[in-house]
Amino acid sequence: MVLTAVDERAEHTGLMPGMRLVDARALVAGITVEKADPLADQQALVQLGLWCGRFTPRVACDGADGLLLDVTGCSHLFGGEQAMMQTVSKRLTRLGLETRLGLADTPGAARALARFALEHQRIVKPGKVRAALKTLPVEALGVTRSHTLTLRHLGLSTIGAITRLPRAALERRFPPCGAENGLLQRLDQVLGNRNEHLSLLAPPPVYRWRLDFAEPVMHREGLETALANMMARLTVALKRGQHGARRLALWCFGIDGSMAERTVAASRPTRDKDHLQRLFAGKLETVDPGFGIDAIVIHATLVEPLEARQPLLDGSQQDNLAPLVDRLVARLGADAVLRPVFTERRFPEQAERFAGPGEAKTSPFSYPDLPPRPFRLFERPEPLQVIALMPDGPPRLFIWRRVRRRITRAAGPERIAPEWWVPHTDQATRDYWRVEDTDGHRYWLYRTGLRGNGVSRWFLHGLYG
Amino acid sequence: MNETGGHVVDNSSRFVALATLRQRITALEGPPKKHTPVEPDSAWLPGIKTLDDALPPNGLTPGALHEASGTTGTDGPSAAAFLVALLHRLSHRAGRDTVLICESDASRSGRLHGWGWRDLGGDPDALLIVRARHDKEVLWAMEEGLRSGALAAVFAEIRSIGFTMTRRLSLAAQESMTPALLLRDDGLVPTSAAATRWLVRTLPSAHDSLDIRAPGAPRWRLGLVRCRGGRPARCNVEWHHEAGAFCVAAALGHRPATAIHERNTFRPAVLRAS
Repeated sequence: MVLTAVDERAEHTGLMPGMRLVDARALVAGITVEKADPLADQQALVQLGLWCGRFTPRVACDGADGLLLDVTGCSHLFGGEQAMMQTVSKRLTRLGLETRLGLADTPGAARALARFALEHQRIVKPGKVRAALKTLPVEALGVTRSHTLTLRHLGLSTIGAITRLPRAALERRFPPCGAENGLLQRLDQVLGNRNEHLSLLAPPPVYRWRLDFAEPVMHREGLETALANMMARLTVALKRGQHGARRLALWCFGIDGSMAERTVAASRPTRDKDHLQRLFAGKLETVDPGFGIDAIVIHATLVEPLEARQPLLDGSQQDNLAPLVDRLVARLGADAVLRPVFTERRFPEQAERFAGPGEAKTSPFSYPDLPPRPFRLFERPEPLQVIALMPDGPPRLFIWRRVRRRITRAAGPERIAPEWWVPHTDQATRDYWRVEDTDGHRYWLYRTGLRGNGVSRWFLHGLYG
Repeated sequence: MNETGGHVVDNSSRFVALATLRQRITALEGPPKKHTPVEPDSAWLPGIKTLDDALPPNGLTPGALHEASGTTGTDGPSAAAFLVALLHRLSHRAGRDTVLICESDASRSGRLHGWGWRDLGGDPDALLIVRARHDKEVLWAMEEGLRSGALAAVFAEIRSIGFTMTRRLSLAAQESMTPALLLRDDGLVPTSAAATRWLVRTLPSAHDSLDIRAPGAPRWRLGLVRCRGGRPARCNVEWHHEAGAFCVAAALGHRPATAIHERNTFRPAVLRAS
């Protein structure tokens, strides 16, 4: 394993990227190591780049650890280049980042200054790029490693030394290599004699529309029509962006300054116009138009990628369970639509958890083969009065809900002990009995506590069919 | 001659009129049950002679509403278990495996336990449970589920339901070929549009085959109160969930149950003699 990045303190102790982990451990005892995650780093960089959209709309990533901001025409908004650089530096420092900034005529020059200049912040006046780069090392050009090594072998260590050489010789010795630029092309780009293309970060699309009414809408029907109109636009845009909405918010602005917000959620990303409209159906009824609504805004607050899918041959969509779940959730609430999920716990009331319909199954285990369980379980076991012949024998008679029931058949006990791996549990061991009374009704009873060890009590926990 | 001829014409026109009327009646009554073999493999007969004779020749159709209620207030769980047994037999359609359960009052008779559902022969992973606050929501969820056509079956319990709603539910079930199973608390008193209505009474079980003191397979006294295209019937059955089949409950089951301690004193030889 190799170090990919080190922090400032580690750098002072002599560690550097590229060093083997064993060597680093031998050098400094007790270093903290985290596994590198280049993908997450890249995503974080993109996020930071999008955040930099506050300074300029044109932002591009530079390698794995740099950002290029094209501030042409933006700097005056921040009080000039110097002030803008201060602002950028201050903002990024507040985010906990250490920055090196460079500002120059060309992206290549700015990159070279930021990465190789002696100062942490450097601004080059227009037209002074050549002079400013003269003393920087050849690595600052950003050509391939083999080219820099050759340059070093030839004793050309600064950019200034290269610019003095005849161009024809450079072209012959350092040709373009595949997609990579040759030395000459790169030099032209850095000095501003050749265009450099930046692949700019595209901010994620915002699905948000506002509809202003000429006359305030007083009725729900009008609101519904307007919503259908907006929904059509929304779904077209979602389709274009290959997105599906997971959460939608509708804001209704009243003429009297009131604002009503209604949100709906879908269990899976969707851009089915009718489905989304139906989700809002119950919610619109609760919007009180009051003196009238003069504007509505619809906003897809959460979208997820959704690729276009072909309908089945009979014209129906593959999946109509998800829309059903959404409708149920929209009307009854998210906590009313559930799926049972087995959890690895011993006590029956804990062995089953109820999860939301969209939640993925996490446990690889399923219900084990134990004596049959009742299919109705009481959330709170109901206390019973029980008569048993022997203290740990089967129950013979019990009184539940003021009715006396004689037991004719009993199977058990099935002992369920508290989980030994849970510290300080106050649960008592339970002995479960499957019993049948004279009429044939079946119950699941249990007795808490062990014989001769405190009080033992009886409870009814479930009903069999 | 002319008169007789007129008489004949009159007769045949009456015949034609009657035939058209009959056609109209069948059209009003919905699709004919006996002559259209609607997915014969999906319809189901319980395999017990009394019931098979009483049910229509094709057996129970999946795309219909089936109601059950306990004979007494305490027979609710048995009626529910019977409906679950029906559900397992009726809900075999490719591509649909989710079963929608609508429950409204979990505190009175407990909530559904996935583990117990598994032990009745179902798949707990396929369950989608709706906890409604009142009957109105249960019925709404039920109808939505039936109309979606995405479910293997819909199972709901409800206190009472009017005729109009049962008609709506059975139409929705018919449209999407989804079995709708309704457990009612009101003992089937009001009228209903359900295809079958069952009264279930719990019977004492025979002992378990491996443990003489343990309860065996559940036994019910099934009363088929109403059956579209069939006639009422009554029968004692035993449900074996492993086999997914009903059996006729042996007469032994009618023997008055004895207390455990008495049975403990039985010796095997005595048992055989009885």
